[in-house]
Amino acid sequence: MTAKLENLHSAAAERASEALSKLVGRPAHIEVVRAEIKPVTELAPAVGLEEVVVGVCLPVTGDVTGASLLVFPKGSALVLSDLLAGREPGTTTALSGLDESALKEVGNILTGAYLTVLADVSGMRLVEHVPHLTCDMFGAVASQIVANLAQEDAEALIVEVEFLFRQPVFKNYLILFFGTEDARKVFPAMALA
Amino acid sequence: MKRAEVHMGHVMIGASGETLTASGVGSCLVITLYDPVHRIGGMAHAMLPPASRAPGRNGRDTKYTDAAIDEMLKRLSARGADTRRLEAKLMGGANMFPGLKSDIGEANVASAKEKLARENIRLAAESVGGSIGRSVEFCSASGIVTVKKKL
Repeated sequence: MTAKLENLHSAAAERASEALSKLVGRPAHIEVVRAEIKPVTELAPAVGLEEVVVGVCLPVTGDVTGASLLVFPKGSALVLSDLLAGREPGTTTALSGLDESALKEVGNILTGAYLTVLADVSGMRLVEHVPHLTCDMFGAVASQIVANLAQEDAEALIVEVEFLFRQPVFKNYLILFFGTEDARKVFPAMALA
Repeated sequence: MKRAEVHMGHVMIGASGETLTASGVGSCLVITLYDPVHRIGGMAHAMLPPASRAPGRNGRDTKYTDAAIDEMLKRLSARGADTRRLEAKLMGGANMFPGLKSDIGEANVASAKEKLARENIRLAAESVGGSIGRSVEFCSASGIVTVKKKL
């Protein structure tokens, strides 16, 4: 990663960590351990197409059109739900409506932090919208977002970011989808294009 | 038997009886065509209905349902299949985020059915719609399709 890109991720992670700590009422630290721009066809090795995940999708509009998808492996989503609700980790076996709302809020926090920093460095207006949650195979969840973008663009690019939540540790992914043309507006600001 | 994954926007023919798979299918539509006499078939993993084709755009054309079916017909004919005998099966076309206004899945199914009707291809079976992901296996030697759901 370039120094500029590292700074961008550090700023987003710091902002998200603060917000998440407040939400869970205990220290929560988020690290960006990897970030890559990939064509959508190469996303699958990071998360298996048939792996069951909880996906929180937030459409993004403004100067560009895209979407963010926060991906929790199902086990992580259950443990995080316990933490958010103040339960002993391992208690939850199925998400309640309240758990889903809390996970959507985590999606708001992480996406919001990332988009705020991205908007600052790019000078673009990026607006996140109401989160939507689903639980199913990763391929099924992600492909619908890709298809929505492909209606306007022939290809789509992805920024894939891994987050680590500590105490306990979670490994999740924040994926930002933009169509090719919009990606060419957003990603140069990240010194990646 | 050999297995091969058919990725989004791609078309594949089971030339020597392979099992063709499409994993984690959401709003996309998997279309299989099979000639029961010649015992040959193919699978398409289409993403979009033809109506969403933007003028002047390039890119993989077989991501559209109609072009995917055309490509399968062309390749199956070239391998000796009789297109008058073909039977089709459709899988996918879901809406994974019911709260999001998206009719891509539904439009994929409708456009594929229209195309099949225009080509006089019989629709033998379907597992489409809803808000659930599907993984599809197609035995190109027997024409048998297996749909798996994780939830």
